[in-house]
Amino acid sequence: MSDMRARRGGKKTFLFNMIIVGQAGLGKSTFINTLTNHPTIPKRQCDDPAQCTLEKTVDIQAYTVETDEDGMKMQLTVVDTPGFGDNIDSSTHFNEILSYIEHQYDDVLAEQSKIKRNPKFQDSRIHVLLYFIPPTGHALREIDIELMKRLCGRVNILPCIAKADTLTPKELAAFKKRIMEAIAVNEIQLFDFPYDENEDDDETIQENLELRSLLPFAVVGSDDTLLVNGRTLRARQYPWGIVEVENMKHCDVAQLRSVLLSTHVQELKELTHDVIYEAYRSEKLSQLEGLAEKLAELNMQAQEQQPGSV
Amino acid sequence: MATNTKSIGIANLPNQTHKIVSRKGTTFTVMVVGESGAGKTTYVNTLLTTTIKSYRDHSKRRDALSRKTVSIDVIRAAFDENNFATQLNVVDTPGFGDYVNNRDAWQPLVDFIDGQHEMYLRQELQPHRDDILDGRVHACLYFISPSGQTLRPLDIETMQKLGSRVNLIPVIAKADTITPKDLAAFKRRIRDAINAHNIRIYAPPVESETEGVSERNQAMVDAMPFAVIGSEDDVVTPDGRTVKGRQYLWGVSEVENEAHCDFKKLRNLLIRSHMLDLITTTEDVHYEAFRSEHVSTDGRVVGSVARKDAKFKEEEDALRRRFAEQVKAKEAMFRQWEQKLIGERDKLNKDLEHEHSYITALTQEIKQLEDKLNKK
Repeated sequence: MSDMRARRGGKKTFLFNMIIVGQAGLGKSTFINTLTNHPTIPKRQCDDPAQCTLEKTVDIQAYTVETDEDGMKMQLTVVDTPGFGDNIDSSTHFNEILSYIEHQYDDVLAEQSKIKRNPKFQDSRIHVLLYFIPPTGHALREIDIELMKRLCGRVNILPCIAKADTLTPKELAAFKKRIMEAIAVNEIQLFDFPYDENEDDDETIQENLELRSLLPFAVVGSDDTLLVNGRTLRARQYPWGIVEVENMKHCDVAQLRSVLLSTHVQELKELTHDVIYEAYRSEKLSQLEGLAEKLAELNMQAQEQQPGSV
Repeated sequence: MATNTKSIGIANLPNQTHKIVSRKGTTFTVMVVGESGAGKTTYVNTLLTTTIKSYRDHSKRRDALSRKTVSIDVIRAAFDENNFATQLNVVDTPGFGDYVNNRDAWQPLVDFIDGQHEMYLRQELQPHRDDILDGRVHACLYFISPSGQTLRPLDIETMQKLGSRVNLIPVIAKADTITPKDLAAFKRRIRDAINAHNIRIYAPPVESETEGVSERNQAMVDAMPFAVIGSEDDVVTPDGRTVKGRQYLWGVSEVENEAHCDFKKLRNLLIRSHMLDLITTTEDVHYEAFRSEHVSTDGRVVGSVARKDAKFKEEEDALRRRFAEQVKAKEAMFRQWEQKLIGERDKLNKDLEHEHSYITALTQEIKQLEDKLNKK
């Protein structure tokens, strides 16, 4: 990382785009605000009781904020997806999110095909999708499996357990295990911290193995800070104790923040640009080719029929 | 059938009134509704301090996902406390709210409740009715997910349907997910939503002649919807007490600590103080409402509740499939027989032909011999 910066000379600001998906009330906005240490996503107002029954589409909104983590400056764009999975029938929501992600790829495809390109073009391809799983303690639900299955080929997915302070340590470990089993059974491809045994050094391999063993990340978020042992920390206050967000024994937020804002940014971007986007591009172009061929065929048939018909 | 030797307070029931004959005992049916993982099983077991309900096996959960149905399971237990016998029924609703499409998920629930009323009605109209089986639901606990925000469309629709038929008690389970500050706001928003959408929930009577009971009742009403924590395990708190609770790295949340959750209030409501009221309102209000709609003036039952029970449909389908299979098997057998018979017939025909040609040959021979004879 530092090599790259030295080569480019001076501090460059990296662009990083993430999308966060999960049902209402799982603490997504709070988590993003915790991650960026900044009130990035405003608190949703849900005081109007008449609003409860409305069946909505997913209200996709993007927020941009500047971060500086471990000396790495970043322009982080977070796309929020309120409304996902909250309807009585949420079947249409998967396509709404998939369309958004593919739309960003389409923009890049169109831009790359232009003769005169726009120098100020903003690449808004999504580099990672954080999926928030409710802490039921049982297993993945239909909606969790469907979402991850449908989107895993189009974006890097990192599953997270929301409000992880609902679960005791034993329950959390069992829950994580069952989730990963369900993911394997359903053949869902996640971003599982891949490494190359031949190319990477032992430290990198070790780091990636550890991160892989943490999946899915246990997340706890808080908008409030408390005084704990003389230090001001982000924490949640219960009558029976205090949960510290940055404490690695309480949850995995510290490690997840490092992954998202410094250590694995480049890798997530590369995978998105060089693998996922390229796959989408080939598919799209061959589809267009296929269509063009069909069109040409139909034209030929029409031409043959006209002069030939008796 | 479990027998509970620990005291949970059911024995207070006869003290409330003389109406119930303690010799006969009573039946009490509670329905629990909520998404998978809401905390229903744990709560029921905590309430009754016995593992009445067992946790569903995880492989069964995975299989259930593909069937996409809401089913009804009834667990029956007999309690005997201080020589007062209670038949306790817990009605579970696995599959409710678990799918991507939960359209009409409340239908099997409503059908069950109405079905129980109808069953009682039919028995009541019989000439001999001293041995009536009463499966009517006296209380329905609706488990709200502890999102901290507000009610969801499925919650609203289902509670509207349930509230008009049964004593509906909304409950927030896994209350140790929410900090006390957020919990107060959450409860307020839920109450606002309940009022805004005209949902009928169970309102316990507050006034009482006994001193202190009115205040207790008022406190109970103010705390609704109840936020509960469930746990069957004994844990040790930092200050050395052994309690039912949940052990986290940062502390122990206690089930029976009123500062931690409303478990005690809900237990009082369901069992110690208002069990009789729940039973009588079911009989005097909900059952009567059902009865007036379903009994004609000449005393017959009209408008039967169609058993759209999903399990029923499943069994029906299974039977139909078996029947179709058996028919297919029989048809295959008949076809085989037919083939065999055709084969036999052909063989016989062949034999016949053979004999016939033999006869023709012989006849020819005879003719030849006759000719020869005639010529001589």
